[in-house]
Amino acid sequence: MPLLEVTNLSKVYGNGRGRLEAIRDLTLTMEEGEFVAVVGPSGCGKSTFLHILGGFIPPSDGSMRVAGRAVRGPGPDRGVMFQELALFPWRTVLGNTVWALEVQGYPRPEREAIAERYLSLVGLLPFKHAYPWELSGGMKQRVALARVLAFDPAVLLMDEPFGALDAQTRELLQEELQRICFETGKTVLFVTHDIEEAVYLADRVIVFSARPGRVKATVPIALARPRRLEVKKSGEFVAYRNQLWDLLREEVLKARQEAEAGQAAGDG
Amino acid sequence: MADLSPQRVLPAAAVRSPGWGAGVGLVGRIRALAVSLAAPAVLLAVWEGLASLGALPAFLVSPRIVARELAALAASGDLFEHASASLYRSLVGFAMGSASGLALGLLSGVSPVVAGFFDPLVSLTNPVPKVATLPMLVVWFGISDLSKILLIAVSCFYPCFIAAFHGVRSVDPLWIWAARNMGARPSQAFFRVVMPATAAQMFNGLRVALALSFILMLASELMGSSNRTGLGFLLLSADAGGRFDLMFAAIAAIAMVGLVCDRLLLTARRALVHGEQEGGGTHG
Repeated sequence: MPLLEVTNLSKVYGNGRGRLEAIRDLTLTMEEGEFVAVVGPSGCGKSTFLHILGGFIPPSDGSMRVAGRAVRGPGPDRGVMFQELALFPWRTVLGNTVWALEVQGYPRPEREAIAERYLSLVGLLPFKHAYPWELSGGMKQRVALARVLAFDPAVLLMDEPFGALDAQTRELLQEELQRICFETGKTVLFVTHDIEEAVYLADRVIVFSARPGRVKATVPIALARPRRLEVKKSGEFVAYRNQLWDLLREEVLKARQEAEAGQAAGDG
Repeated sequence: MADLSPQRVLPAAAVRSPGWGAGVGLVGRIRALAVSLAAPAVLLAVWEGLASLGALPAFLVSPRIVARELAALAASGDLFEHASASLYRSLVGFAMGSASGLALGLLSGVSPVVAGFFDPLVSLTNPVPKVATLPMLVVWFGISDLSKILLIAVSCFYPCFIAAFHGVRSVDPLWIWAARNMGARPSQAFFRVVMPATAAQMFNGLRVALALSFILMLASELMGSSNRTGLGFLLLSADAGGRFDLMFAAIAAIAMVGLVCDRLLLTARRALVHGEQEGGGTHG
């Protein structure tokens, strides 16, 4: 049985002239332990897709199942790491990491032990008493990752988590995430606009079409794990990157034409 | 991996001290205290000097005489009686007004229906100086503690309601999503996200309300006091008797009681509001 099953998912906003079709007829299954990356041109509905999976936005049509159980509404079986992180600024690093376990009723020693284990996994144990504003961007990403890992969701849903980072920090975190997922066997759906990031991290890359978002292509990535950053220089990696770039290029151009047409219509 | 030792990334001085003003260590704290005491000290010295030269009119009594009067008031027990009567009125009014203001403000923040009821009402009545209702309250309840406490409570309600209401409205919706994602029930999202996220703004409202409670305590006591107590009543009777020394002593007592209450509120704020970046803003 697949861990995550998404069937004929659609999302339409508004109606009449203001009608906007964000996602059309998306079907996706993920096996346990799989790392799937979703790439697509900006505005293709990939973040909307993730927010629907998270249960924050209701779909217009279609269904989703986690481990065979139909889901609707948010729940800790699908841990979301938001693009904006959404750390609680009034809580320390440790306070943020134990939060989910607190509301789920874990006793204090147990939840702190779990949180500390994940903080040491992301290398932040020495900072457990710091507040989010005291941390750098990369460190905040690590806290958000530890926070979502700590409550052990069946699926991790990650929405461009490294988008706001500088290139060096981004690569280091990619390697770290790759190692953590390899060690913990996590099932991850990872949305990004960065093709190299997708190839490096994923077992399978799904290319979204320009709006409305549909699955245009699925590319399995057969690079051996664990992957070191050096793999990015290999011929195999570059071949995957070029293949995905060609697939995405058409969609990016289509999205741009549509945006320009929309602008022209708006001007007229 | 990069060097992530705390010393490397977070030099203690850079993180904990905002540089100017607050100071580091004992020497720094003594220096900060000296700076903050300099202005009042200079003012008092000039005042005292001018008074001893006989350069001031009779109603500007020298600080030395005011201090002596204050000491006499304290020794006779009068100071305690007047101050406790005033403090009772202002703090009971403050507690009633701010508790109801915060509660209804929070409720309005989370419920559009409640907001639809209270928000226009508050907008309409907020610009009215609350002290304008005092004559009506006096007709209704007499020159009693009750009319004073009600006036203070009404005045304290507004800043607390507004702070809590707008505090809740400015809570990042993503925090609520994150909370629900982590398995929080709606009530847990309220008490563990909305409340702490709004705490700093609620304290700002409380601080304004506390100052208002002292202003209206004094104003209402200047209208008279049925049991002939209160620092405002002391001021009123000193004025009637032409006792300028007593008048300044009453003003000094009000200032000191007010200062102590404000410091207590700030101490509570420090204990209850976490993660605030020095120099404003709570965003991480």
